[in-house]
Amino acid sequence: MNHNRQSNDGKHDDDSALSDFLASLMDYTPTIPDELVEHYLAKSGFQCPDVRLIRLVAVATQKFVAEVANDALQHCKARQAAVVKDKREKQQKDKRLILTMDDLSKSLREVGIPVTCSDVLKKNGHAFLFFVFND
Amino acid sequence: MTGVESTRDTKKGEERRSSLSGRPKADDFGRSVSKIAVAQICESVGYQGCKESALEALADISIRYLCDLGKNASFHANLAGRTECNVFDITRALEDLGDSHGFPGASEVGSCLVGSGTVREIVQFVDTKEEIPFAQPVPKFPVVRNQKLIPSFEHMKETPSGKHTPSWLPAFPDPHTYNHTPMWNERGSDPCADKIEQARQRRKAERALLRLQQRLVCNGSTGTSSSTVLDAKTENIQESRSSPFLAVPLQPGEKDVSEVVLPAKLSNEPIKDDHVTLLEAYAPAIEAMKTGPSNGLDSEKMFLPEKRPAVQFKFKTGKKVLGELLDLSLQKKGERSSTFFLRDEERDDKKRRAEFILRQTTEYPMELNQS
Repeated sequence: MNHNRQSNDGKHDDDSALSDFLASLMDYTPTIPDELVEHYLAKSGFQCPDVRLIRLVAVATQKFVAEVANDALQHCKARQAAVVKDKREKQQKDKRLILTMDDLSKSLREVGIPVTCSDVLKKNGHAFLFFVFND
Repeated sequence: MTGVESTRDTKKGEERRSSLSGRPKADDFGRSVSKIAVAQICESVGYQGCKESALEALADISIRYLCDLGKNASFHANLAGRTECNVFDITRALEDLGDSHGFPGASEVGSCLVGSGTVREIVQFVDTKEEIPFAQPVPKFPVVRNQKLIPSFEHMKETPSGKHTPSWLPAFPDPHTYNHTPMWNERGSDPCADKIEQARQRRKAERALLRLQQRLVCNGSTGTSSSTVLDAKTENIQESRSSPFLAVPLQPGEKDVSEVVLPAKLSNEPIKDDHVTLLEAYAPAIEAMKTGPSNGLDSEKMFLPEKRPAVQFKFKTGKKVLGELLDLSLQKKGERSSTFFLRDEERDDKKRRAEFILRQTTEYPMELNQS
């Protein structure tokens, strides 16, 4: 019974935390606009009149994209640190952090999205993405 | 906003892509909005620029993630026998998508969804990350157009033909849209009357044109060196003004043809200053009636007489027209011209003119052949 009471308290805490979080979501404006999220959710069959859930989905997507971008940034910085030691010119030029396909494909592979962009296609100027989402 | 850098290759690719697929697609608006959002997120992470292809790829992936979340959540809701999703459906969907990446508490089986690791991570994310709202206001899209529906039987206040047709269905189209009715040509054609009408209209036009050129002549008639021919004409006319019976009789076989008649002004008052060559008098009318390039030669010749002393009658079409116009002028100013209507004198003139023209044609065949 104690165990149950504890678990019940735990559940209540979790419930309250969740409901508080959902309430706080209304104050927080995610970077991805609500209209865009609503459009794509409606396209995929998601029906919900509650705005908080829309915000939750938007925040989740933002978190995902931020993680991927962060990983790519780490790759980029690591690459620059390895090269910079030799020439000063390159150091000044490469101070700018630029998102490239190489870094992006590396970070996406870690998440489980294999992205391939062959060199031949790059020369032609097209970037074809072949990736699979795990459902 | 993040600067977008692109190498030469990607820029060429963009141009080619835009030229190949220049037509706007249905999803373009959503895609461009997501591109902006993703660029903002990259900037918040720490990037100063991104390649166009990489940005497009990341935007595409974020859209797919969003769609997958929605699909998963609706799947779980349907599994539970609901049509509307709730927070637990979303949590399950997040767990499904995050399986490959890993989240705290993934290995726990049978724990309540409320305490799910994914939600906790999101909570952490919201607490730590600063708020970055979207750069521009986004309108509600996609825009739904109001469809024009076909009005129902009730709306048209018609009763459907058969009992089996309910009145709330769209009405049938009007019978005149699908029934073929014969067309009768009500106007009867009368060729004689049409020709008469046509001739009358032509005469009207000619009269108006004559009036116009006379007005022009009155306003500014240029005096030229009077030709000997004209002088002779006027003298003859003056002489024979006394009696028409003293005129030269007609030769046998020759017809009394009323051809070119001098304009009333010429025969009326032999004022030398006002001497106008026929050419000058009718130059504006001729110019107005100039039809095509075939008369180009005539137009060139028309302005020559100012330098030459004699009247040049080198155009055939003009002559005909002159004849008609002069007839009309006769009708207009009946009393004045009738006394000066001397056919034999004109015939002599005409002969002289014809000889002159013949001489011109033989001497200058090249000029006439120009066209």
